[in-house]
Amino acid sequence: MDEDLKTSIRGEILQVKDLPTLPHVLNKVTSLVEDPDASSEAIAKVISTDQVLSAKVLKMVNSPIYGFPGRISSIQHALVLLGFNVVRGIIISTSVFDMMVQAMKGLWEHSLGCATACNIIARRAGFEDPEEYAVAGLLHDLGKVVTAVQLPDLHATILDTVQAKEITYFQAEKDVLGFGHDRINAWLARHWGLPPNIREAMSRHHAPQLAEFYKPMSCVVHLGDFLVRLFEFGNSGDDQTAYLRPEALIELKFKMSDLDKVMDEMSDQLLEVSDLTL
Amino acid sequence: MSQALEESLFQRKQIGFLLSPDASLAEMLQKLWSPDVLEFTVFDQGGKAIEHLFNDPPDLLVVDNRLSDIPGREVANLVKSENVYRQLPVVMCVDPVDVEEPWNWNTIEVDDFLVRPFNPSEVRDRINLTLCRAMRALDANPLSKLPGNTSIIQRIQQLIDSGEDFALAYCDLDYFKSYNDKYGFSRGDEVLMMSARLIVNTIRSYQGVHSFVGHVGGDDFVFILPPDKVEGACKRIIAAFDDIVPHFYDPEDRQRGNITSVDREGNTKVFPLMAISLAVVVNTDGQIQHYGEVSSIAMGLKKKAKEDPKSSYVIDQRKA
Repeated sequence: MDEDLKTSIRGEILQVKDLPTLPHVLNKVTSLVEDPDASSEAIAKVISTDQVLSAKVLKMVNSPIYGFPGRISSIQHALVLLGFNVVRGIIISTSVFDMMVQAMKGLWEHSLGCATACNIIARRAGFEDPEEYAVAGLLHDLGKVVTAVQLPDLHATILDTVQAKEITYFQAEKDVLGFGHDRINAWLARHWGLPPNIREAMSRHHAPQLAEFYKPMSCVVHLGDFLVRLFEFGNSGDDQTAYLRPEALIELKFKMSDLDKVMDEMSDQLLEVSDLTL
Repeated sequence: MSQALEESLFQRKQIGFLLSPDASLAEMLQKLWSPDVLEFTVFDQGGKAIEHLFNDPPDLLVVDNRLSDIPGREVANLVKSENVYRQLPVVMCVDPVDVEEPWNWNTIEVDDFLVRPFNPSEVRDRINLTLCRAMRALDANPLSKLPGNTSIIQRIQQLIDSGEDFALAYCDLDYFKSYNDKYGFSRGDEVLMMSARLIVNTIRSYQGVHSFVGHVGGDDFVFILPPDKVEGACKRIIAAFDDIVPHFYDPEDRQRGNITSVDREGNTKVFPLMAISLAVVVNTDGQIQHYGEVSSIAMGLKKKAKEDPKSSYVIDQRKA
């Protein structure tokens, strides 16, 4: 694929405004921000289940206007620093997908499932601030959402290619675009000033061995993505089996017994989480 | 025109200088406000006014472009080029012919202008607005844009005068200086912006009460809340600060839980991560009569709060 096309796709992607979300979570948050007694913890908990709202909140708090760009990677911290009025403004200005809601639902479930898995994996690995790993997991397929919104025709071609060639969405992206959503993630994360750890995990979740500075987070998201596909929770665009990089397990110092424990916990928690995405 | 100061837009009487040979302009301005609210001193020549201006700057300067001895814009620039007088708002009066060509407002740094023929009610409100805007801009902390010392003192004195119960908290950051020394001032500013935001949002979440947040300067902030809300606010600020501030360190320092930096005497020392100390003065039943008492009580408490290297708060519980 030639460079010109890549540049024009990049331009289209980065022009994204008004990224819509699914109605379920938005309605829930809307009623929370109208309730004067709602705590910021309660609002954070709900926002943390929606990749688009989470991305918007983190983009806002990490913008230079607030004076500490790229420092905040937790939704709870973001809400404390943005304050009620700003969060309310973000919620009010967010619209809902008018079509393809069903197609997107699977991706929302997959992302939320991955966030859940990342939290469990990070705890198991003994990492600090597991919620930040969950954020990275939640946002790991954001590039797919933005592609669907900004480039609906190419997005449809990618989905058709998945069906026709029986390949993964990631492979189909490379077929159609010449690059994958990992690259799109990298563009978005940099353009929006997201913190470097989240940025690297978003752009390296398919190749965590290449991560430069935040290898553990990239490996957690890689493993989380793999496991949530294994559980067939949600849908990230194809029904293929994903590849698990052995380097990720080595980096996390995981044995098979650790994976067993993680998967046990996942089957419990995914059950709870599935209630959130109805 | 016989409006009392209390009903005006201003906290204290304002002094204006008018530099103009136009007697009708002087008469109009002097009629628009009661002299208790805004009193004009009139100079019919510019040159004579300048020394007065520098010795005893007024709250407002109105300069007429019709001055014969010195161009109005030159007077304006004389004022605006000196940092100590810069904040003095200047309003330029012009004739229609003066503004036929566009002016370069970057070189003539006035705050507003009025064009003849004057409409008295417009003049009144334009000048009121100019004064209000100048007060807002003057006192805002340049980094956080929160109200500064003048507003803080004013607010405290107002509460004392009204006899309302209030709690005033002084917040400052422990080991901010060593952080600044190690990471540089721009990273230090990030921490101040974060702290400001955190304090503002915590205080603002108490709705329907009288509250206030100000930035004294550097790593010193104050906030005001009703006495029954203040302890909860301190706890929430400390919890949020301790949770967030580690993220402003490089990963290695954060993991180690301390930084190595140079102290005031030039020795290399190990410093803990930053913490926030809060000293709270509570005024109930009008025990405190003057702003000065508040700050001296607070300074004593602050020492106590600072003894703890971790984030902590101390509430003054003196009874009448």
